[in-house]
Amino acid sequence: MFRVMCGIAGSTDDPQGTAVEAMLATLHHRGPDDGGLHTDPGTGVSIGARRLAILDIDGGHQPLCGEDGSVWVAFNGEIYNHEPLREDLRRRGHTFSTGCDTEVLVHLYEEFGDALVHALEGMFAFALWDERRQRLLLARDRFGEKPLFIHEHAGELMFASELTALLEAKPQLRALDPAAIDAFFVLGYVPGPGTIVRDVRQLAPGHLLSWERESGVCSERAWWSPPDGPVKLREPVEMLAAEAERLLHESVRTRMIADVPVGVFLSGGIDSRLVAASAAQQSTRRIQTFTIGYDVGSFDETVQARRVADELDTEHHEITLTQTDVAARAPALLASLDQPLADQALIPLHALSEFARPRVTVALGGEGADELFGGYPRYRWLERAERIESALPRAVVGPLGELLRYSGRWPATARLSDRISQAPVLERHLDWVTAGRRHHRKALYGPRLTVLDDGRVLSDLVSRAGNAEDGSIGRRLMRLDQIDYLPDDVLVKADRAGMLVSLEIRSVYLHRGLAELAGSIDTSLHLSGQGKTLLHSMLPKGMAVNSRTSTRYRKTAFRAPAAEWLRGPLAAALHRQLEHGMIFKEGYFNREAARELAREHISLVRDHSDLLWPLLALGLWVDRFFGVVDVQGAGDVA
Amino acid sequence: MSRKPRLLVITPDFPPARGGIQVLVHRLVSELERFERSIVTLESPGAAEFDDASGLAVRRVKAIKQLRGGRNLLLNAVAYRQAQSFRPDVTLSAHIVTSPAAAAIRRTLGGRTVQYFHAKEIGAKPRLAAFAARQAHTSIAVSDYTSRLIQATGVRPLDIRLISPGVELPSNVAPESAERPTFLTIARLEDRYKGHDVIIRALPLLRAKVPDVQWVVIGDGPLRPGLEQLAQAHGVADAVRFLGSVSDDERNSWLRRTRALVMPSRLPSGHYAGEGFGIVYLEANVFGKPVVAGNVGGALDSVADGESGLLVDPTDPVAVADAIARLLLDDELAARLGRGGAQRAQAFTWPLISERVEAVLLEQLRASARWDSSAVPA
Repeated sequence: MFRVMCGIAGSTDDPQGTAVEAMLATLHHRGPDDGGLHTDPGTGVSIGARRLAILDIDGGHQPLCGEDGSVWVAFNGEIYNHEPLREDLRRRGHTFSTGCDTEVLVHLYEEFGDALVHALEGMFAFALWDERRQRLLLARDRFGEKPLFIHEHAGELMFASELTALLEAKPQLRALDPAAIDAFFVLGYVPGPGTIVRDVRQLAPGHLLSWERESGVCSERAWWSPPDGPVKLREPVEMLAAEAERLLHESVRTRMIADVPVGVFLSGGIDSRLVAASAAQQSTRRIQTFTIGYDVGSFDETVQARRVADELDTEHHEITLTQTDVAARAPALLASLDQPLADQALIPLHALSEFARPRVTVALGGEGADELFGGYPRYRWLERAERIESALPRAVVGPLGELLRYSGRWPATARLSDRISQAPVLERHLDWVTAGRRHHRKALYGPRLTVLDDGRVLSDLVSRAGNAEDGSIGRRLMRLDQIDYLPDDVLVKADRAGMLVSLEIRSVYLHRGLAELAGSIDTSLHLSGQGKTLLHSMLPKGMAVNSRTSTRYRKTAFRAPAAEWLRGPLAAALHRQLEHGMIFKEGYFNREAARELAREHISLVRDHSDLLWPLLALGLWVDRFFGVVDVQGAGDVA
Repeated sequence: MSRKPRLLVITPDFPPARGGIQVLVHRLVSELERFERSIVTLESPGAAEFDDASGLAVRRVKAIKQLRGGRNLLLNAVAYRQAQSFRPDVTLSAHIVTSPAAAAIRRTLGGRTVQYFHAKEIGAKPRLAAFAARQAHTSIAVSDYTSRLIQATGVRPLDIRLISPGVELPSNVAPESAERPTFLTIARLEDRYKGHDVIIRALPLLRAKVPDVQWVVIGDGPLRPGLEQLAQAHGVADAVRFLGSVSDDERNSWLRRTRALVMPSRLPSGHYAGEGFGIVYLEANVFGKPVVAGNVGGALDSVADGESGLLVDPTDPVAVADAIARLLLDDELAARLGRGGAQRAQAFTWPLISERVEAVLLEQLRASARWDSSAVPA
């Protein structure tokens, strides 16, 4: 079984620390570097942490307390600016006893109280117990790179980095939430702040939660949200690109600070290319780059990645994820996740992390670049469609879409025709991202899900996307992705894929300054041409490619040949799932309808991988949840 | 020879248009009474009334919006024509965009040329800056930082003088009390390097120490909506007052009320240039107010750390928050730096600054073959 290597847990109603011990044991399972527990028997508060040592390997024992022993911190993540913070705090007269970044938190809290989070640049989730004020503070980083699950009951709190840990300590929480399953099927991930079980939620990204012993009152508030300033600027693009480049360098430089070897994941796309170039430029040693390819399907980025590696003269490593490996790896991986996740790229990212782990402990990744800098083509296409529609009378729009569809010989016309319709843009966006899975709910759902309200997943999404007057379609979609898809899918994938093999993936683009710069720029600049204008203008001169004629820096992000896998290495797991899966037995999904899809897919009648993959991912996960082990597919693979 | 030496001043920036260079050029030409002055500049709204009132000989070039870069070309052409009839002994080019005219005058009509350098323009047009520095007999840089920017273009100018801009001494600098602990920033909202973003990041930390702190932002520009959004994103919108552009009176009134002026200018990225000098720091000092500035660029010349203000790492919100908090919470420190600043600012008053510029011009005059050096007033 896989386990998260590094994490925190705590409870406000555990004077002996036994429940927290149990949670830490769940997080500890695979023998990490260090762990610790602090109990305050008088108040019942216990907090603890498990640690994967990356900085101050010997000195960073947790939880840590401050100079007078009244503030305790359990911390998961990395603070990239801990060195300058330490200097700032020393100047203010604070004394440090370890080189560990966690200690900075204690002193920052003494200095700034809850506002300490604003001083941090990094990825984190932490719990801080202020013994003097009898107050517990929980915090999560700006984008939700590190997880934090919370159970609140009768004025008491339990929390942990893993949902599984909470379920272990309090088995009565093991009740699946059908609405979350519905949302999972439609979206491919469990949207926060809810979770797959009913009585556990997540602390939302950029949020703080405080709990007072005296009153048992728990209050939660946002301390940061992605800025959203659609500003028409007079600054030349080159000037913005220069600023973005400075921040990117700073981000890479601070993320390379570690007492362990650091590498870069290369996908062949522009995001990771810029990261690798910056790392190579700033490193005194030759940097190590890693990429992955497949023995099946048409997605292969290894050639592009190798070209970049050659050009930057990196020590390049490449693996091929074979079908045999997928058969052995995927079922166990999908089953063992903390919450189900249908992102197919999880499999290659996990394999790549495992491959890189013997050589490096930290890898720089490009997560967030698409959401912040406008990389996904759907932003541009939906905005274009919206522009065309708003210029035309309603009655013309539908027929025009049809006309374009039939006359469209060029892919661009066909794509545009798909996007022109009378459905609201957000629905079209959702259908684009999820391959229209919501339209299959009726046919595929079993009795436990058919009772749910049809439009809820969509309306939740619409309400999160904000008001139509708040800016262009592209801007709203980018913002929605930043607060929804990014934390709940992309970052979950990166965190789990890495942590499961004790590798820390650090996302270079989720640097505060870089993200805020991206947020302050007019969407039309981000989305002009092929998108990610700012990143393209950061390419060295002569490398800036003509986006129309070249595919060199087309968007790629470890995509996976899922359709082929479902016909080949994962066909057996799919069949076992269709025969014995709990999601069918328990009445969540309709077995016959799913069987029919599988039959059509395997006999090459149609590609149903967009429907079958979420079913398989969820099925494997739910089976483990109910304690059923897929004997042929699962095992301790890591 | 009894005639006054003739000084031609070519400048794209001149009042009534607003800005630092505008004030600088205007103050200089007003004070340089030993010269017969002719000014060639661009048209701007209200210029006719302004020129009538000033009594200066100003020739205005129509600033046709559509012309953009062509405007400067026209300005150079008109300046050259003016030189043909005015026959200047010294030509002062106030900005690198007017250096082509100065160079042409020097070559064809003779006379000496002096070139002013500020900062931003050197980063934006490094090749023109190099040309301007090569062509002039003497270059005036407003700070050591500016002088380093010139040298970074690869040119070794014949002669560089450091002369900072000057500061006005308002009649009423008596402090007034503010209803909340207040600090102030004065800058157009068009250059990211001024550090408004870092102040916003510092505000939540600052509020932890000074809960009712208020940040007053004077100045307007395209960055404003983005900064307003950023303040929202950090949950500090209620601590910020964006006033836009205000009258001189209102601005002075805020300078009397504020505890400090804060502008953590950083060095911009790439080849772009940052704060050339930062006259606004001295303007606050004149009111007896301490300042917080970045420890880079022109501020190193305009602010004396620990004497007239605090210099901090302008990219570090914690350091910025800490410096502001010290000034807001430590009355003794704020008063000491305020006094120090007011005293220091006395060395930067306009009469003293124009005297130094005048000395440079007279030196040029003495070196001029055309001018009888014995007639140059000492």
